[in-house]
Amino acid sequence: MTAKMDTVSYENLIHREKVHGSLYTDPAIFQAEMETIFHNGWVFVGHTSEVPKAGDFSRRQIGKQPVLITRDRDNNVNLLLNRCTHRGNLLCNRTNGNASTFTCPYHGWSFGVDGEMRGMPMLQAMGEGFDKAELGLAHVPRVGIHRGFIFASLASEGESFEEYLGDAKVLLDRSADLSPEGEVDLSAGWLKHRFKANWKMLPENNTDGYHVGSTHSSMLMATGSANSGAFNDEMGDPSVIRDWGGGHTELDFAPRYRMSGRPFQWFGGTRKSKLPKYMAAMEAAYGKEETEERVLAGPPHAIIFPNLFLAELNITYFYPVSTNEVIQYYTPLLLKGAPEVNKRAMRQTEGAMGPGSFLLPEDASMAERNQLGLEALTPEWMDLRRGLHREHIDEENGLLTSSVSDETTNRAFWSHYLTMMSKASSRAGSGC
Amino acid sequence: MVNEQVFREVEAFIYKEARFADESAYDDWEALWEDDALYWVPTRPDADPEVDISHIYDNRARIGTRIRQLKSGFRFSQVPPSPMRRVVSNIEIISVTGEEYEVAANFMLMELAIQSTRDMNFWGGSIVYRLRRVNGELRLFYKKIMLVDADEPVANLSFLV
Repeated sequence: MTAKMDTVSYENLIHREKVHGSLYTDPAIFQAEMETIFHNGWVFVGHTSEVPKAGDFSRRQIGKQPVLITRDRDNNVNLLLNRCTHRGNLLCNRTNGNASTFTCPYHGWSFGVDGEMRGMPMLQAMGEGFDKAELGLAHVPRVGIHRGFIFASLASEGESFEEYLGDAKVLLDRSADLSPEGEVDLSAGWLKHRFKANWKMLPENNTDGYHVGSTHSSMLMATGSANSGAFNDEMGDPSVIRDWGGGHTELDFAPRYRMSGRPFQWFGGTRKSKLPKYMAAMEAAYGKEETEERVLAGPPHAIIFPNLFLAELNITYFYPVSTNEVIQYYTPLLLKGAPEVNKRAMRQTEGAMGPGSFLLPEDASMAERNQLGLEALTPEWMDLRRGLHREHIDEENGLLTSSVSDETTNRAFWSHYLTMMSKASSRAGSGC
Repeated sequence: MVNEQVFREVEAFIYKEARFADESAYDDWEALWEDDALYWVPTRPDADPEVDISHIYDNRARIGTRIRQLKSGFRFSQVPPSPMRRVVSNIEIISVTGEEYEVAANFMLMELAIQSTRDMNFWGGSIVYRLRRVNGELRLFYKKIMLVDADEPVANLSFLV
């Protein structure tokens, strides 16, 4: 570990009611985050539906490291480091596709989609007793899959996948349970959006109900939903924010949807009669009562720490680039067995998500302006006290809960961040 | 395929559309569109909009929403509007069907993200326009913008591209 990392005392920078501005700007902190959170912790990588057939592959990153999601002939989903085991060449430079082998163009070494070495030109030079098995592609040490959502850790030991996901796995279930087949399909491709801002502003913002009324006022005006009281707890929006533990947070609109008593408020208020095949398939799979409940409550709006955003009928993740740059990705949450829903979900995602949409450009601009404002070093602290006096444990689920404009979710993010970063920092210190 | 006079007319329409977009002349730009409009920014040249997500896939109603949002004064990613200038070139008339013209062109656009980073963003790609003559005037009913970097991370695309 670097000496620099030892000098950061996260306990002094993160308090319940405020966090220090340097957390978004200090390059040493960024390096420590990459190592602790992105390279040693669990992160979201992709979904099994992106590689449906044998030979399918999709390029990703875990933190800064290039990886490939592949499906091999035995139907296993593999996570492989995208690096030729010879001289380090980026083995595969296509975004996605189907291949029987990956052949490095530098000297012609080839590998199966399962990572095993297939061959190299002029093998004799490797000497007697050389075993090709030694030079297979590196596998990501730990992979966890829930409802097709693939998570990974580059550390071979540490917190288990089950411990990492904790109770928040029910949020993934809620997404998948909107499909009559119980499976989501993330095959529509990803929009990629560059934010010149620190990565932490994304998970913080995504379950922040408070910014919507101001940041997104133009969207509310253009679509005629301004002054509806949505996102305003003083005007009676009963939506809540929740701390699921482990840095996972939720902004739950279901209470507002329930108050309206009308299904599909999360889908433009569509009437059930407009989606007859979907309703029939759902009722056949889950029964009438359960279906009514699911189409009323809708999909989750939640962060799975650190980089997955279950954004209702959209899925979003990101890669940090530097202290002041992050790339965010978006795709529609398509539901297997629900073509009626999916056709409109595509258009709904285009309206809401991505650099050309009606919502995300404002989030990008605000994040960038935050980053620019943080160049001013006074005041040193960012205020996070909203709702401290009224957040409470919800007896129904045992989760810390508060009103839609409070900052319970931000505090939940920072609390978990502090746990991870200070643990790593003290490990680094104890070695000296 | 068309005579010189028609070509010049098509070219002049394309330059006018580009000027309205550059100057964020929202009402003038919106008024160019027909009711069966499609304003489309895909992520790949061979994209199928029913299967592949697009950056922008606006029908006429959604173009209206886009313009209302830009005119609200609170579309913060365009407050103030990006200073822009674009060059449209390599104009070719691809096909003529009655009074409808399909036109291909290339473009390069300098856009200043004056609202936040003040980065000079450089955009470029190809465009397919479909124009229709209505009561003697050319009208726009299709504009597909294929950005060279559409499948890469891009900055805000909330201006008129």
